[in-house]
Amino acid sequence: MANYIDRFNAADRILHWAVAISFFLLVLSGLGLFAHTFFDYFDLFGGPQQGIFVHKWSGVVFLACSVLLFLRHVGETCSFDEDDRKWIAKLGGYLSRKEQEIPQGKFNAGQKLFGIFAIIAALIMGATGFIIWDPTAFSRELTKFSLMLHGLFFTLFMVGMVVHVYLATIGNPGTLEGMLYGQVRKRWAKKHASKWYRKVVKD
Amino acid sequence: MKRKAFMIDTTRCTACRSCQVACKQWNKLEAEATVNRGSYENPPDLTPQLYNQIHFIEQDKGDDLRWLFINRRCMHCADAGCVKVCPAAGALYHTKEGMVAYDQKKCIECHYCVNGCPFDVPRYDENQKITKCHACSDRIQNGLAPACVKACPTQTLKFGDRDQLISEAKAAGKKLYGENDLGGLGVLYVLDDEPGTYRLPKNPAIPASIFFWKDVVKPLGILGFWGAIGVAALHYVTVGPKKIDDSEDEPRKGGE
Repeated sequence: MANYIDRFNAADRILHWAVAISFFLLVLSGLGLFAHTFFDYFDLFGGPQQGIFVHKWSGVVFLACSVLLFLRHVGETCSFDEDDRKWIAKLGGYLSRKEQEIPQGKFNAGQKLFGIFAIIAALIMGATGFIIWDPTAFSRELTKFSLMLHGLFFTLFMVGMVVHVYLATIGNPGTLEGMLYGQVRKRWAKKHASKWYRKVVKD
Repeated sequence: MKRKAFMIDTTRCTACRSCQVACKQWNKLEAEATVNRGSYENPPDLTPQLYNQIHFIEQDKGDDLRWLFINRRCMHCADAGCVKVCPAAGALYHTKEGMVAYDQKKCIECHYCVNGCPFDVPRYDENQKITKCHACSDRIQNGLAPACVKACPTQTLKFGDRDQLISEAKAAGKKLYGENDLGGLGVLYVLDDEPGTYRLPKNPAIPASIFFWKDVVKPLGILGFWGAIGVAALHYVTVGPKKIDDSEDEPRKGGE
């Protein structure tokens, strides 16, 4: 298909959706522990004990897949150049309808920042989750601090998730295709990731 | 209903431990084997089978010995860390008398109350369910004094209307611990020394991390989640999506 170019291979896509599914399982099973306002969410899993069980093990899946996904793209994610600084200064051109040409690599600066935030948050959720797995295993001070951090990064993750889902779906039409079956339209690539597009076409 | 409270005048306590025994008897709690640690204090701490305990402060003063006793138990805080942190609806709650009681059938075994308590009170039994002093809620609902109070021979332990107990103690010129802390404790102490001597926090408060989680992170998190959705929706209808102009696509093959 001449109109399409490859963006994410099958391993990337499977890892991404494993992260996404385990993320939503974690949210739904964890809400009941976050605050008693949301206690009834445990009903989705048949009860609190079952919900906590799902929460713990989907946490393991989420952490492992997040780390693998990040490591597959660590080079591109963690390198910022002059164009990335320009993207950040203009907030990616998201504040205006005017077409703005900001050449970007495979990931734009916002995606890189989100990737770095996501791996840091995932590691903190994993570490604090390990400490509160058995809430009497560690010292009370450490457990209390971990409970607080776990809740704090949960709320940050929720905000990040809303932004990520919006920008990857209706906010940027054509983006989701790359994560669904791996290919994006050439026109999409020229518009959103021109440096990456030129590199791919040249190869 | 008027708030009830315990008034514990430690200066009257002889450490007879009738309160410990009466509590075990009424609440059907098993006796536990302990070892001699070189102290008269026994058992050494609250356990799942011991809802109140006489803590011995044994101070060696040369030839002399200073002996202080304090009845330790759940403090039945008005602003209770355990109730605040408990995610399970109705597992930990305030009775109409203002006491902190619990329903083991609703306990989800998360142990959060252990971390929310400023006084290190909640314990978990062999079924991994919360246990602690519940002020004999079955007795006080029927107009009886809690078992420990009933058994106390020296009037160290009193139970009644909180306001009345406070005014009586003040009229007798006694200094109180817990009158205003945590919204007012349901257990008030008359102490013979600084709170620290009795292993009591001088200014008890809900742990800072628990407060931050429940009173800052939770409301801001809910606001942040719905705020982000609102901002995304607003962005969509004002600035709009970054559309790809189809007309600039490369020529399509027939039938595609």
